[in-house]
Amino acid sequence: MSQEYRESVPVLSFPRQTFVSLLVFAIAWEALSYLAPSLGIPPFAIPSWVRIAKSIANITPIDVVVTLARVIGALIVSFVLGLALAMAMYRSDAMDKYVYPMVRILMAVPVVSWILFAVLWFPGVEFRIGFVLVVVCGPVFLVDTLDAMRNVPRELRSMMRSFRPTTLQFFLKLMLPAIVPTIFTSWKVNISLAIRVVTIAELVGAVTGIGHQLSVAQELFSVSDVFAWTIVLVALLFMLEALVARIEHRLLRWRT
Amino acid sequence: MNTTMSGPPTIEVRGLRKVFRQATSGQQVVAIDRLDLTIQPKEVIAIVGQTGCGKSTFFDMMIGLEPPTEGYIHIGDKSPYADFDFFRGKMATVFQQDRLLPWRSALDNARLPLELMGRPEEEQRERALTWLNKLGLTNFVNAYPHELSGGMRQRVAIARAFAVQPEILLADEAFGHLDEVTAAELRDTFLKLARESGATAVLITHQLEEAIAVGDRIAVFGKSAKLLADIHVAKWAESEYGTLREAIQTTLQTQSPDPRLARN
Repeated sequence: MSQEYRESVPVLSFPRQTFVSLLVFAIAWEALSYLAPSLGIPPFAIPSWVRIAKSIANITPIDVVVTLARVIGALIVSFVLGLALAMAMYRSDAMDKYVYPMVRILMAVPVVSWILFAVLWFPGVEFRIGFVLVVVCGPVFLVDTLDAMRNVPRELRSMMRSFRPTTLQFFLKLMLPAIVPTIFTSWKVNISLAIRVVTIAELVGAVTGIGHQLSVAQELFSVSDVFAWTIVLVALLFMLEALVARIEHRLLRWRT
Repeated sequence: MNTTMSGPPTIEVRGLRKVFRQATSGQQVVAIDRLDLTIQPKEVIAIVGQTGCGKSTFFDMMIGLEPPTEGYIHIGDKSPYADFDFFRGKMATVFQQDRLLPWRSALDNARLPLELMGRPEEEQRERALTWLNKLGLTNFVNAYPHELSGGMRQRVAIARAFAVQPEILLADEAFGHLDEVTAAELRDTFLKLARESGATAVLITHQLEEAIAVGDRIAVFGKSAKLLADIHVAKWAESEYGTLREAIQTTLQTQSPDPRLARN
Protein backbone atom coordinates (compact mmCIF):
# COMPACT_ATOMS: atom_id res chain seq x y z
CA MET A 1 0.00 0.00 0.00
CA SER A 2 1.49 3.33 -1.00
CA GLN A 3 2.01 6.23 1.40
CA GLU A 4 -0.35 8.42 -0.66
CA TYR A 5 -3.05 5.77 -0.44
CA ARG A 6 -2.67 5.35 3.33
CA GLU A 7 -3.00 9.07 3.79
CA SER A 8 -6.16 9.32 1.73
CA VAL A 9 -8.02 6.48 3.45
CA PRO A 10 -11.03 7.92 5.25
CA VAL A 11 -11.00 7.21 8.97
CA LEU A 12 -13.36 8.46 11.66
CA SER A 13 -12.98 12.16 11.03
CA PHE A 14 -13.18 14.42 14.04
CA PRO A 15 -13.22 18.00 12.83
CA ARG A 16 -13.01 20.93 15.21
CA GLN A 17 -16.73 21.77 14.83
CA THR A 18 -17.71 18.25 15.94
CA PHE A 19 -15.40 18.48 18.92
CA VAL A 20 -16.82 21.87 19.92
CA SER A 21 -20.46 20.73 19.66
CA LEU A 22 -19.71 17.59 21.70
CA LEU A 23 -17.90 19.66 24.30
CA VAL A 24 -20.81 22.10 24.57
CA PHE A 25 -23.21 19.16 24.98
CA ALA A 26 -21.00 17.58 27.66
CA ILE A 27 -20.76 20.85 29.62
CA ALA A 28 -24.51 21.45 29.36
CA TRP A 29 -25.19 17.88 30.51
CA GLU A 30 -22.85 18.23 33.48
CA ALA A 31 -24.43 21.56 34.43
CA LEU A 32 -27.90 20.04 34.17
CA SER A 33 -26.77 17.07 36.27
CA TYR A 34 -25.48 19.51 38.94
CA LEU A 35 -28.66 21.58 38.88
CA ALA A 36 -31.08 18.64 38.63
CA PRO A 37 -31.95 18.35 42.37
CA SER A 38 -32.69 22.09 42.63
CA LEU A 39 -34.92 21.82 39.55
CA GLY A 40 -36.88 18.99 41.08
CA ILE A 41 -35.44 16.38 38.76
CA PRO A 42 -34.37 13.10 40.48
CA PRO A 43 -30.53 12.90 40.55
CA PHE A 44 -30.48 9.45 38.88
CA ALA A 45 -32.25 10.85 35.77
CA ILE A 46 -29.29 13.01 34.71
CA PRO A 47 -26.12 11.31 35.98
CA SER A 48 -22.86 13.20 36.04
CA TRP A 49 -20.03 12.29 33.67
CA VAL A 50 -18.20 10.69 36.57
CA ARG A 51 -21.13 8.28 37.06
CA ILE A 52 -21.30 7.61 33.35
CA ALA A 53 -17.54 7.01 33.22
CA LYS A 54 -17.90 4.48 36.06
CA SER A 55 -20.66 2.73 34.09
CA ILE A 56 -18.47 2.68 30.98
CA ALA A 57 -15.67 1.15 33.04
CA ASN A 58 -18.07 -1.59 34.07
CA ILE A 59 -19.04 -2.46 30.49
CA THR A 60 -18.73 -6.20 30.01
CA PRO A 61 -16.81 -6.87 26.80
CA ILE A 62 -18.50 -10.24 26.28
CA ASP A 63 -21.87 -8.52 25.73
CA VAL A 64 -20.30 -6.20 23.16
CA VAL A 65 -18.69 -9.14 21.38
CA VAL A 66 -21.94 -11.14 21.40
CA THR A 67 -23.96 -8.26 19.91
CA LEU A 68 -21.24 -7.57 17.34
CA ALA A 69 -21.13 -11.24 16.35
CA ARG A 70 -24.92 -11.34 15.98
CA VAL A 71 -24.90 -8.22 13.81
CA ILE A 72 -22.03 -9.31 11.57
CA GLY A 73 -23.29 -12.90 11.26
CA ALA A 74 -26.81 -11.80 10.38
CA LEU A 75 -25.56 -9.17 7.92
CA ILE A 76 -23.43 -11.74 6.12
CA VAL A 77 -26.34 -14.20 5.88
CA SER A 78 -28.69 -11.39 4.77
CA PHE A 79 -26.23 -10.23 2.14
CA VAL A 80 -25.63 -13.70 0.70
CA LEU A 81 -29.36 -14.47 0.59
CA GLY A 82 -30.24 -11.03 -0.79
CA LEU A 83 -27.58 -11.21 -3.49
CA ALA A 84 -28.47 -14.78 -4.52
CA LEU A 85 -32.17 -13.98 -4.72
CA ALA A 86 -31.52 -10.71 -6.58
CA MET A 87 -29.43 -12.60 -9.15
CA ALA A 88 -32.17 -15.20 -9.59
CA MET A 89 -34.82 -12.47 -9.94
CA TYR A 90 -32.67 -10.60 -12.44
CA ARG A 91 -32.34 -13.76 -14.51
CA SER A 92 -35.99 -14.83 -14.31
CA ASP A 93 -38.88 -12.48 -15.04
CA ALA A 94 -41.36 -14.96 -13.60
CA MET A 95 -39.45 -15.20 -10.34
CA ASP A 96 -39.19 -11.43 -10.19
CA LYS A 97 -42.93 -11.01 -10.68
CA TYR A 98 -43.81 -13.53 -7.96
CA VAL A 99 -41.14 -12.70 -5.38
CA TYR A 100 -40.90 -8.90 -5.60
CA PRO A 101 -44.39 -8.15 -4.17
CA MET A 102 -43.63 -10.46 -1.23
CA VAL A 103 -40.36 -8.66 -0.60
CA ARG A 104 -42.15 -5.30 -0.57
CA ILE A 105 -44.64 -6.69 1.94
CA LEU A 106 -41.81 -8.00 4.14
CA MET A 107 -40.25 -4.55 4.11
CA ALA A 108 -43.49 -2.95 5.24
CA VAL A 109 -43.85 -5.17 8.33
CA PRO A 110 -42.77 -3.32 11.52
CA VAL A 111 -39.73 -4.66 13.36
CA VAL A 112 -41.80 -5.15 16.52
CA SER A 113 -44.14 -7.51 14.63
CA TRP A 114 -41.16 -9.57 13.50
CA ILE A 115 -39.89 -9.77 17.06
CA LEU A 116 -43.28 -10.94 18.31
CA PHE A 117 -43.52 -13.50 15.48
CA ALA A 118 -40.03 -14.73 16.31
CA VAL A 119 -40.87 -15.11 20.01
CA LEU A 120 -44.06 -17.03 19.17
CA TRP A 121 -42.54 -19.20 16.45
CA PHE A 122 -39.03 -20.08 17.61
CA PRO A 123 -37.86 -21.42 20.98
CA GLY A 124 -34.14 -20.64 20.51
CA VAL A 125 -33.05 -17.11 21.44
CA GLU A 126 -30.17 -16.95 18.97
CA PHE A 127 -32.39 -18.12 16.13
CA ARG A 128 -35.02 -15.54 17.07
CA ILE A 129 -32.50 -12.69 16.94
CA GLY A 130 -30.94 -14.00 13.73
CA PHE A 131 -34.35 -14.39 12.12
CA VAL A 132 -35.41 -10.84 12.97
CA LEU A 133 -32.15 -9.36 11.69
CA VAL A 134 -32.18 -11.37 8.45
CA VAL A 135 -35.83 -10.72 7.71
CA VAL A 136 -35.28 -6.97 8.21
CA CYS A 137 -31.89 -6.56 6.51
CA GLY A 138 -32.16 -9.23 3.78
CA PRO A 139 -34.86 -7.45 1.75
CA VAL A 140 -32.86 -4.20 1.83
CA PHE A 141 -29.85 -5.98 0.34
CA LEU A 142 -32.10 -7.71 -2.19
CA VAL A 143 -33.89 -4.59 -3.41
CA ASP A 144 -30.72 -2.47 -3.55
CA THR A 145 -28.80 -5.18 -5.43
CA LEU A 146 -31.63 -5.85 -7.87
CA ASP A 147 -32.06 -2.15 -8.61
CA ALA A 148 -28.32 -1.80 -9.16
CA MET A 149 -28.30 -4.78 -11.55
CA ARG A 150 -31.16 -3.28 -13.53
CA ASN A 151 -29.30 0.02 -13.70
CA VAL A 152 -26.17 -1.47 -15.27
CA PRO A 153 -26.10 0.44 -18.58
CA ARG A 154 -27.59 -1.45 -21.51
CA GLU A 155 -24.55 -0.41 -23.56
CA LEU A 156 -22.17 -2.22 -21.23
CA ARG A 157 -24.39 -5.30 -21.16
CA SER A 158 -24.54 -5.53 -24.96
CA MET A 159 -20.78 -4.90 -25.22
CA MET A 160 -20.17 -7.73 -22.80
CA ARG A 161 -22.61 -10.06 -24.54
CA SER A 162 -20.99 -9.31 -27.91
CA PHE A 163 -17.89 -11.08 -26.62
CA ARG A 164 -20.02 -14.09 -25.75
CA PRO A 165 -19.33 -14.69 -22.06
CA THR A 166 -20.78 -17.60 -20.11
CA THR A 167 -23.55 -16.71 -17.65
CA LEU A 168 -21.06 -16.94 -14.77
CA GLN A 169 -18.53 -14.73 -16.58
CA PHE A 170 -21.26 -12.20 -17.32
CA PHE A 171 -22.02 -11.89 -13.62
CA LEU A 172 -18.45 -12.02 -12.37
CA LYS A 173 -16.89 -9.68 -14.94
CA LEU A 174 -19.71 -7.20 -15.44
CA MET A 175 -22.65 -7.30 -13.07
CA LEU A 176 -20.80 -7.85 -9.80
CA PRO A 177 -18.16 -5.14 -10.26
CA ALA A 178 -20.83 -2.78 -11.60
CA ILE A 179 -22.98 -3.13 -8.48
CA VAL A 180 -20.15 -2.95 -5.93
CA PRO A 181 -20.71 0.78 -5.18
CA THR A 182 -24.39 0.09 -4.44
CA ILE A 183 -23.48 -2.94 -2.32
CA PHE A 184 -21.32 -0.72 -0.11
CA THR A 185 -24.10 1.84 0.26
CA SER A 186 -26.46 -0.98 1.16
CA TRP A 187 -24.01 -2.31 3.77
CA LYS A 188 -23.77 1.12 5.39
CA VAL A 189 -27.56 1.43 5.56
CA ASN A 190 -27.92 -2.09 6.90
CA ILE A 191 -25.22 -1.75 9.56
CA SER A 192 -27.10 1.16 11.04
CA LEU A 193 -30.39 -0.73 10.73
CA ALA A 194 -28.97 -3.94 12.22
CA ILE A 195 -27.44 -2.16 15.24
CA ARG A 196 -30.83 -0.66 16.06
CA VAL A 197 -32.79 -3.85 15.39
CA VAL A 198 -30.45 -6.16 17.30
CA THR A 199 -30.83 -4.01 20.40
CA ILE A 200 -34.62 -4.32 20.30
CA ALA A 201 -34.43 -8.04 19.51
CA GLU A 202 -32.05 -8.61 22.44
CA LEU A 203 -34.47 -6.88 24.78
CA VAL A 204 -36.81 -9.83 24.33
CA GLY A 205 -35.55 -13.02 25.85
CA ALA A 206 -31.80 -12.65 25.34
CA VAL A 207 -29.55 -13.17 28.35
CA THR A 208 -26.48 -11.68 26.72
CA GLY A 209 -25.76 -8.73 24.48
CA ILE A 210 -26.09 -4.99 24.67
CA GLY A 211 -29.89 -5.08 24.33
CA HIS A 212 -30.10 -7.37 27.35
CA GLN A 213 -27.79 -5.07 29.34
CA LEU A 214 -29.97 -2.09 28.42
CA SER A 215 -32.96 -4.02 29.71
CA VAL A 216 -31.15 -4.72 32.99
CA ALA A 217 -30.15 -1.05 33.27
CA GLN A 218 -33.77 -0.05 32.81
CA GLU A 219 -34.88 -2.46 35.55
CA LEU A 220 -32.28 -0.92 37.89
CA PHE A 221 -33.29 2.65 36.94
CA SER A 222 -29.64 3.22 36.02
CA VAL A 223 -29.59 6.05 33.47
CA SER A 224 -25.79 6.10 33.63
CA ASP A 225 -25.68 2.44 32.52
CA VAL A 226 -28.17 3.14 29.70
CA PHE A 227 -26.01 6.07 28.67
CA ALA A 228 -22.84 3.96 28.77
CA TRP A 229 -24.30 1.13 26.69
CA THR A 230 -25.74 3.63 24.23
CA ILE A 231 -22.31 5.19 23.80
CA VAL A 232 -20.93 1.72 23.12
CA LEU A 233 -23.62 1.10 20.48
CA VAL A 234 -22.92 4.39 18.74
CA ALA A 235 -19.17 3.71 18.84
CA LEU A 236 -19.78 0.22 17.43
CA LEU A 237 -21.82 1.68 14.59
CA PHE A 238 -19.15 4.25 13.73
CA MET A 239 -16.42 1.60 13.85
CA LEU A 240 -18.29 -0.74 11.52
CA GLU A 241 -19.07 2.13 9.15
CA ALA A 242 -15.44 3.19 9.16
CA LEU A 243 -14.40 -0.39 8.39
CA VAL A 244 -16.81 -0.57 5.45
CA ALA A 245 -15.66 2.85 4.23
CA ARG A 246 -12.06 1.65 4.34
CA ILE A 247 -12.83 -1.48 2.31
CA GLU A 248 -14.94 0.60 -0.08
CA HIS A 249 -12.14 3.08 -0.59
CA ARG A 250 -9.72 0.27 -1.29
CA LEU A 251 -11.96 -1.59 -3.73
CA LEU A 252 -13.24 1.50 -5.52
CA ARG A 253 -9.88 3.17 -5.99
CA TRP A 254 -10.67 3.43 -9.70
CA ARG A 255 -13.22 6.14 -8.94
CA THR A 256 -10.72 8.55 -7.35
CA MET B 1 -20.89 -29.19 -38.72
CA ASN B 2 -17.55 -27.39 -38.79
CA THR B 3 -16.32 -26.07 -35.50
CA THR B 4 -13.58 -23.91 -36.95
CA MET B 5 -13.43 -21.35 -39.71
CA SER B 6 -10.36 -21.23 -41.93
CA GLY B 7 -10.09 -17.53 -42.72
CA PRO B 8 -12.94 -15.08 -42.81
CA PRO B 9 -16.13 -16.61 -44.19
CA THR B 10 -18.71 -15.15 -46.55
CA ILE B 11 -21.57 -13.38 -44.82
CA GLU B 12 -24.93 -14.03 -46.44
CA VAL B 13 -28.05 -12.15 -45.54
CA ARG B 14 -31.23 -13.48 -47.15
CA GLY B 15 -34.79 -12.26 -46.74
CA LEU B 16 -33.89 -10.76 -43.37
CA ARG B 17 -36.85 -9.29 -41.55
CA LYS B 18 -37.07 -7.87 -38.06
CA VAL B 19 -40.32 -6.74 -36.52
CA PHE B 20 -40.53 -5.16 -33.08
CA ARG B 21 -43.59 -4.54 -31.00
CA GLN B 22 -43.50 -1.11 -29.39
CA ALA B 23 -43.72 -1.40 -25.63
CA THR B 24 -45.92 1.67 -25.18
CA SER B 25 -48.38 1.52 -28.11
CA GLY B 26 -48.16 -2.20 -28.87
CA GLN B 27 -47.81 -1.32 -32.55
CA GLN B 28 -45.56 -3.39 -34.79
CA VAL B 29 -42.51 -1.67 -36.24
CA VAL B 30 -40.70 -3.19 -39.20
CA ALA B 31 -37.06 -2.38 -38.53
CA ILE B 32 -35.68 -4.53 -41.35
CA ASP B 33 -37.78 -5.60 -44.30
CA ARG B 34 -36.48 -8.48 -46.41
CA LEU B 35 -32.83 -7.52 -46.75
CA ASP B 36 -30.53 -9.44 -49.09
CA LEU B 37 -26.82 -8.76 -48.88
CA THR B 38 -23.63 -10.74 -49.46
CA ILE B 39 -20.34 -9.69 -47.89
CA GLN B 40 -17.24 -11.33 -49.28
CA PRO B 41 -14.34 -12.52 -47.11
CA LYS B 42 -11.84 -9.78 -46.17
CA GLU B 43 -14.13 -7.15 -47.62
CA VAL B 44 -14.54 -3.82 -45.83
CA ILE B 45 -18.14 -2.76 -46.25
CA ALA B 46 -19.65 0.47 -45.01
CA ILE B 47 -23.36 0.60 -44.35
CA VAL B 48 -24.86 4.07 -44.54
CA GLY B 49 -28.36 5.23 -43.85
CA GLN B 50 -30.34 7.85 -42.03
CA THR B 51 -31.07 7.66 -38.32
CA GLY B 52 -33.73 5.05 -37.57
CA CYS B 53 -33.31 3.17 -40.85
CA GLY B 54 -32.50 -0.12 -39.13
CA LYS B 55 -28.68 0.01 -39.26
CA SER B 56 -28.20 -0.58 -35.56
CA THR B 57 -30.80 -3.37 -35.51
CA PHE B 58 -28.88 -4.99 -38.36
CA PHE B 59 -25.69 -4.53 -36.32
CA ASP B 60 -27.24 -6.21 -33.27
CA MET B 61 -28.43 -9.08 -35.48
CA MET B 62 -24.96 -9.45 -37.01
CA ILE B 63 -23.52 -9.74 -33.50
CA GLY B 64 -26.20 -12.28 -32.66
CA LEU B 65 -27.93 -10.27 -29.96
CA GLU B 66 -31.28 -10.24 -31.78
CA PRO B 67 -32.99 -13.11 -33.60
CA PRO B 68 -34.43 -12.55 -37.08
CA THR B 69 -38.22 -12.50 -37.36
CA GLU B 70 -37.83 -14.04 -40.81
CA GLY B 71 -34.92 -14.87 -43.12
CA TYR B 72 -31.37 -15.38 -41.94
CA ILE B 73 -27.84 -14.14 -41.53
CA HIS B 74 -25.30 -16.86 -42.20
CA ILE B 75 -21.62 -16.38 -41.50
CA GLY B 76 -20.07 -19.35 -43.21
CA ASP B 77 -22.72 -21.94 -42.47
CA LYS B 78 -23.51 -20.64 -38.98
CA SER B 79 -26.05 -18.25 -37.59
CA PRO B 80 -24.62 -15.63 -35.21
CA TYR B 81 -27.81 -15.91 -33.13
CA ALA B 82 -28.52 -19.66 -33.17
CA ASP B 83 -24.83 -20.62 -32.99
CA PHE B 84 -24.01 -17.78 -30.60
CA ASP B 85 -21.15 -19.45 -28.73
CA PHE B 86 -19.48 -20.66 -31.93
CA PHE B 87 -18.44 -17.08 -32.67
CA ARG B 88 -16.61 -16.54 -29.38
CA GLY B 89 -13.21 -15.22 -30.39
CA LYS B 90 -14.14 -15.05 -34.07
CA MET B 91 -16.09 -11.81 -34.02
CA ALA B 92 -15.29 -8.50 -32.34
CA THR B 93 -17.13 -5.23 -32.11
CA VAL B 94 -16.36 -1.55 -31.73
CA PHE B 95 -19.33 0.48 -30.60
CA GLN B 96 -20.37 4.10 -30.95
CA GLN B 97 -19.21 4.90 -27.44
CA ASP B 98 -16.09 3.18 -26.15
CA ARG B 99 -18.08 1.08 -23.66
CA LEU B 100 -15.03 0.47 -21.49
CA LEU B 101 -15.56 -0.94 -18.02
CA PRO B 102 -14.75 2.01 -15.72
CA TRP B 103 -13.28 -0.18 -12.98
CA ARG B 104 -10.71 -1.74 -15.30
CA SER B 105 -7.46 -0.18 -16.52
CA ALA B 106 -6.82 0.22 -20.25
CA LEU B 107 -4.84 -3.02 -20.22
CA ASP B 108 -7.54 -4.93 -18.34
CA ASN B 109 -10.20 -3.59 -20.69
CA ALA B 110 -8.19 -4.60 -23.75
CA ARG B 111 -7.71 -8.12 -22.48
CA LEU B 112 -11.31 -8.62 -21.36
CA PRO B 113 -12.41 -10.70 -24.39
CA LEU B 114 -9.31 -12.87 -24.04
CA GLU B 115 -10.24 -13.50 -20.41
CA LEU B 116 -13.69 -14.56 -21.55
CA MET B 117 -12.10 -16.88 -24.10
CA GLY B 118 -10.11 -18.49 -21.29
CA ARG B 119 -6.70 -17.63 -22.76
CA PRO B 120 -3.68 -18.00 -20.43
CA GLU B 121 -2.93 -14.89 -18.34
CA GLU B 122 0.42 -14.31 -20.04
CA GLU B 123 -1.10 -14.46 -23.52
CA GLN B 124 -3.89 -12.09 -22.48
CA ARG B 125 -1.36 -9.54 -21.28
CA GLU B 126 0.94 -9.92 -24.24
CA ARG B 127 -1.76 -9.61 -26.88
CA ALA B 128 -3.50 -6.71 -25.18
CA LEU B 129 -0.19 -4.87 -24.74
CA THR B 130 0.74 -5.45 -28.38
CA TRP B 131 -2.47 -3.83 -29.59
CA LEU B 132 -2.35 -1.00 -27.07
CA ASN B 133 1.19 -0.27 -28.25
CA LYS B 134 0.09 -0.36 -31.90
CA LEU B 135 -2.59 2.15 -31.05
CA GLY B 136 -0.14 4.49 -29.34
CA LEU B 137 -1.19 3.84 -25.76
CA THR B 138 2.11 2.48 -24.45
CA ASN B 139 2.24 5.03 -21.65
CA PHE B 140 -1.38 4.65 -20.64
CA VAL B 141 -1.84 0.93 -20.16
CA ASN B 142 -2.48 1.32 -16.43
CA ALA B 143 -4.76 4.34 -16.75
CA TYR B 144 -8.45 4.03 -15.94
CA PRO B 145 -10.97 5.12 -18.60
CA HIS B 146 -11.84 8.37 -16.79
CA GLU B 147 -8.18 9.35 -16.96
CA LEU B 148 -8.14 9.09 -20.76
CA SER B 149 -9.48 11.39 -23.49
CA GLY B 150 -12.39 10.30 -25.70
CA GLY B 151 -10.03 9.43 -28.55
CA MET B 152 -7.77 7.42 -26.26
CA ARG B 153 -10.72 5.52 -24.83
CA GLN B 154 -11.87 4.65 -28.33
CA ARG B 155 -8.34 3.44 -29.09
CA VAL B 156 -8.58 1.10 -26.10
CA ALA B 157 -11.93 -0.14 -27.46
CA ILE B 158 -10.29 -0.79 -30.84
CA ALA B 159 -7.38 -2.58 -29.14
CA ARG B 160 -9.93 -4.69 -27.26
CA ALA B 161 -11.55 -5.70 -30.56
CA PHE B 162 -8.29 -6.45 -32.40
CA ALA B 163 -6.79 -8.35 -29.45
CA VAL B 164 -9.33 -11.07 -30.17
CA GLN B 165 -7.74 -11.48 -33.64
CA PRO B 166 -11.25 -11.74 -35.05
CA GLU B 167 -12.27 -12.97 -38.47
CA ILE B 168 -15.15 -10.52 -38.49
CA LEU B 169 -14.93 -6.96 -37.23
CA LEU B 170 -18.08 -4.98 -36.65
CA ALA B 171 -18.08 -1.25 -35.95
CA ASP B 172 -21.18 0.82 -35.22
CA GLU B 173 -20.63 4.58 -35.62
CA ALA B 174 -17.28 3.93 -33.99
CA PHE B 175 -15.81 7.37 -34.72
CA GLY B 176 -18.98 9.45 -34.94
CA HIS B 177 -18.73 11.00 -31.47
CA LEU B 178 -15.11 12.14 -31.84
CA ASP B 179 -13.87 15.44 -33.19
CA GLU B 180 -13.11 15.48 -36.92
CA VAL B 181 -9.31 15.28 -36.68
CA THR B 182 -9.31 12.48 -34.09
CA ALA B 183 -12.03 10.61 -35.97
CA ALA B 184 -10.11 10.76 -39.28
CA GLU B 185 -6.88 9.68 -37.62
CA LEU B 186 -8.53 6.82 -35.78
CA ARG B 187 -10.49 5.72 -38.85
CA ASP B 188 -7.24 5.48 -40.85
CA THR B 189 -5.59 3.47 -38.08
CA PHE B 190 -8.61 1.21 -37.82
CA LEU B 191 -8.69 0.62 -41.57
CA LYS B 192 -4.95 -0.09 -41.73
CA LEU B 193 -5.15 -2.57 -38.87
CA ALA B 194 -8.28 -4.19 -40.30
CA ARG B 195 -6.56 -4.69 -43.68
CA GLU B 196 -3.43 -6.07 -41.99
CA SER B 197 -5.44 -8.48 -39.91
CA GLY B 198 -7.29 -9.79 -42.97
CA ALA B 199 -10.63 -9.66 -41.20
CA THR B 200 -13.94 -8.97 -42.88
CA ALA B 201 -15.08 -5.59 -41.61
CA VAL B 202 -18.59 -4.19 -41.46
CA LEU B 203 -18.78 -0.52 -40.53
CA ILE B 204 -22.03 1.20 -39.82
CA THR B 205 -21.98 4.94 -40.23
CA HIS B 206 -24.14 7.89 -41.13
CA GLN B 207 -21.17 9.90 -42.38
CA LEU B 208 -20.78 9.61 -46.14
CA GLU B 209 -17.15 10.81 -46.18
CA GLU B 210 -16.31 8.08 -43.71
CA ALA B 211 -18.11 5.44 -45.77
CA ILE B 212 -16.32 6.49 -48.96
CA ALA B 213 -12.93 6.71 -47.22
CA VAL B 214 -13.21 3.30 -45.58
CA GLY B 215 -15.36 0.97 -47.62
CA ASP B 216 -14.52 -1.35 -50.50
CA ARG B 217 -18.27 -1.32 -50.84
CA ILE B 218 -21.00 0.92 -49.56
CA ALA B 219 -24.46 -0.45 -48.87
CA VAL B 220 -27.00 2.35 -48.77
CA PHE B 221 -29.94 1.53 -46.51
CA GLY B 222 -33.31 3.20 -46.94
CA LYS B 223 -36.21 2.96 -44.51
CA SER B 224 -36.56 -0.49 -42.89
CA ALA B 225 -33.04 -1.29 -44.13
CA LYS B 226 -34.17 -1.48 -47.74
CA LEU B 227 -31.02 -1.83 -49.84
CA LEU B 228 -31.18 1.26 -52.06
CA ALA B 229 -27.70 0.93 -53.56
CA ASP B 230 -24.73 -1.41 -53.40
CA ILE B 231 -21.70 0.62 -54.45
CA HIS B 232 -18.25 -0.75 -55.34
CA VAL B 233 -16.04 2.18 -54.45
CA ALA B 234 -13.20 0.90 -56.66
CA LYS B 235 -15.33 1.72 -59.70
CA TRP B 236 -15.12 5.38 -58.80
CA ALA B 237 -11.99 7.48 -59.29
CA GLU B 238 -10.90 9.50 -56.29
CA SER B 239 -11.68 12.66 -58.28
CA GLU B 240 -15.32 11.48 -58.51
CA TYR B 241 -15.82 11.06 -54.77
CA GLY B 242 -17.68 14.39 -54.64
CA THR B 243 -20.20 13.12 -57.22
CA LEU B 244 -20.46 9.81 -55.41
CA ARG B 245 -21.19 11.62 -52.18
CA GLU B 246 -23.90 13.72 -53.83
CA ALA B 247 -25.45 10.67 -55.46
CA ILE B 248 -25.63 8.81 -52.14
CA GLN B 249 -27.09 11.87 -50.47
CA THR B 250 -29.78 12.18 -53.15
CA THR B 251 -30.52 8.46 -52.82
CA LEU B 252 -31.02 8.85 -49.08
CA GLN B 253 -33.18 11.94 -49.48
CA THR B 254 -35.42 10.51 -52.21
CA GLN B 255 -35.31 6.92 -50.90
CA SER B 256 -34.70 5.71 -54.46
CA PRO B 257 -31.38 5.03 -56.19
CA ASP B 258 -29.80 8.01 -57.90
CA PRO B 259 -29.21 7.22 -61.63
CA ARG B 260 -25.55 8.27 -61.24
CA LEU B 261 -25.01 5.15 -59.14
CA ALA B 262 -26.00 2.97 -62.10
CA ARG B 263 -22.38 2.10 -62.94
CA ASN B 264 -22.52 -0.49 -60.11
